[in-house]
Amino acid sequence: MENLYKPVKARTEKVITETSNIKTFLFRPEKPLAFLPGQFMLVTVPGAGECAFTPSSDYRITETLEFTIMRAGSVTSLIHQLKAGDPVGLRGPYGKPYPLKDFHGKEIYVIGGGVGLAPLRALLYGLDHEIDHLKKVEVRFGARTPADIAYRDAIPQWQKRKKTKIVISVDTAGPGWTGNVGLVTTILEDDDVDPNNAVAVVCGPPIMMKFVNTRLLAMGFAPKNIYLSMEKNMSCGIGKCFHCNLGKYFVCKDGPVFTWEQIKDIPEPW
Amino acid sequence: MEYFIDNANFIDFVKKLLETSRVLAPVEQYQRNCIQRITPDNIQAINLSDFRTVEPFKACFFALDEQVNDLPEPKPLTLLGARGCDLEALEVEDRVFGEGDFKDEFYLKRRENSFIIGADCTGCGKTCFCTMVGGQPFPVKLFDLNLSPVKGGYVVEVGSEKGKKLIGELPAATAEQLQAKAELRQRTLAALDETNLEYKCRCSVDWKDAHKANLENQKAWKEVTKNCVECSACNFICPTCTCFLLLDAPVDSQWSTVNSRHKVWDACLKNGYARVAGGANSRPLLYQRLQNRYHCKFDYSHDRLGRYTCVGCGRCIDACAGNIDMREVYAELVRQVPLTAKLE
Repeated sequence: MENLYKPVKARTEKVITETSNIKTFLFRPEKPLAFLPGQFMLVTVPGAGECAFTPSSDYRITETLEFTIMRAGSVTSLIHQLKAGDPVGLRGPYGKPYPLKDFHGKEIYVIGGGVGLAPLRALLYGLDHEIDHLKKVEVRFGARTPADIAYRDAIPQWQKRKKTKIVISVDTAGPGWTGNVGLVTTILEDDDVDPNNAVAVVCGPPIMMKFVNTRLLAMGFAPKNIYLSMEKNMSCGIGKCFHCNLGKYFVCKDGPVFTWEQIKDIPEPW
Repeated sequence: MEYFIDNANFIDFVKKLLETSRVLAPVEQYQRNCIQRITPDNIQAINLSDFRTVEPFKACFFALDEQVNDLPEPKPLTLLGARGCDLEALEVEDRVFGEGDFKDEFYLKRRENSFIIGADCTGCGKTCFCTMVGGQPFPVKLFDLNLSPVKGGYVVEVGSEKGKKLIGELPAATAEQLQAKAELRQRTLAALDETNLEYKCRCSVDWKDAHKANLENQKAWKEVTKNCVECSACNFICPTCTCFLLLDAPVDSQWSTVNSRHKVWDACLKNGYARVAGGANSRPLLYQRLQNRYHCKFDYSHDRLGRYTCVGCGRCIDACAGNIDMREVYAELVRQVPLTAKLE
C-alpha cells in the first residue's frame, strides 16, 4: 500500500538563471525517478506548497532531474529562492508521455513560447534519440524579448544537430538582435513542413496555443496531428481531486498533452 | 433469504455492534434526521423512519481535513441507516477513489474497515428526487445488511458475508412481513412520483442530453445562476462532490524538510478553484463554474463513469441560499432544447 500524496525527498544541486523570471533547477532525488518526455511531476517546497512542472532534462538520466520554472505565483516565488543544498519533494511522474513511436517516419513541427520551451526541451532530447526514424525536426520558438529566451547557451548546440532546424522570434527586439521580430505565428511558413506527413507539438501560454492552433489548422494539419500541452490548476496529479478538469477529461490523468481532435468540441478549452 | 428482527433484539444488536465498532446513525433533531454518534445511552433515539439525513455520510471516509503524511489505521465504523441515495453516492465515491491506475488509500482503508447497514425510506422529502436520476428510495447495492421497517421490527436483507456474520441467527421473515415491506416500498415510490410529477411532465429529454444540448447556451446558464451567491453549500453538502485540495503547512516554525500535507475539501464554485499561477482562470465567471458543476454531475460523469453522479438526494436544494432547485434547472434546460432535438 502506497501513500501517493507523499513526495520523494530531493536536494537542490544547482540553480541556473535563464532570464529575469525563469530559472532552471537541478534536483537529486533520494531514489532515481524515471519519466518520459511530456510527463509531469509535482515539486514540493516543504511547508509551503506543491506545483506541477514538466521536467526539462534528458529522460535517460534518472539520478538527477532538471526543471525550468517561471516565477508566477506564491510557490514558484519560493522555488526561485532555492539555493544549492535546499530540500524539496518530488512526486510523480504522472500523465501521459508524447507518443514518440507514433512520430516515426514523420516531420516534427515543434512550436513553443516563453517557458513552454521547458517541456519541449525534454521532447527535443527524446526526439534526438529517435532522430534516425524521423524525417526532420523544425523548431519554432517565440519569446517576449531577446533577454527572455531560455537555454540561450544550449540553442546553438541544438542548431548543429542533424535534421534539426531552429528559428526564434521575439515580440520586441533589443540591441544587437538580428533575428526575427514578431509573434511566433509570424515565423510559421506554409512550406516548413508537409502537414500531410507531419505532427505539430505546441507548448506555451494559452493565448499563444490558441492562435498557433488556428494557424496550424489553416496550414492543413489534421486535428489528430496537433499535440497541445494544456495548462490547468492541478492539485493531486492522479485524477482524484477534480481540479484540472477539461470537459470530461482530467489534464493530469488523460493529458497533459492532448490532440486537438480530443478537445475541439470543448468550448474555450484554453 | 430475508430475516426478521424485532425492536428489542434490534437494540441488543446495536449494543453488541458498539462493542466492536463506532456507530453512526440518524437521530431526530429539530424535526429532521441528523447523523449522530451512537452510544449505549442514545440507542433508543435511532430513527430509521422518514428519509435521508440532513448531512451526507461523505465525511466518514473522506474527511473534511485529513493529514496525509502517513496512512491511517482507522477503527471499524458502522454506518447505520444509510438510504438508497447514500449508497448510490457511496458507489460514486468508491469508484472515484478506488478505480484507475492510482488508488487513494486514505479513503480505501477507512472504507474497507466499515459496515454498511442500509434502511428503506418510509417517506419522501420535499426535495427528494432519487427516482428521477435512476435511484430508488431503498438500498439496492453495497450494503452488508438492509433494514425495512415493518410492524414490530425490521425485515433484514443480507447483502454480504460480513453482514451474515454480523447478524447471527434470526428467524426468517414471514410472508406477511415481506408483503408489508413490498407495500412500504410501493408507497414510498408513489410518494416520490407525486412529489416530482410536475418535473416528470415537463422533462421529455434525459439529464445528459439536456445538458449536452445546452453546453454553449450561455444565456440559459446565466439565467440559472442569477440567484447563486457562490456560497458553495451545494458543493459541501453534496454526497458525491469529492473535490479536494492538497495544502501544505510547515510542521515547525523553521524552514525544514518536514512538511505537513492536508487533504481538504474544496469547492468548484469558488473563484480560485481553477485559477493558475499568474492569475489566468479557465472559469472566471460564476455561471461558468455553476455550469461546470452541473455538467460534472450529468454530462462528464456519464462519459467517465457511465452514470450520473447526482443521486437525487436534494440536499443541495435544501442548502441553497439562493433557492436554486436542481429539478427546476433541469426543466429549464429541457425547455431550451430545440423541439427538433426532442423529437429525435
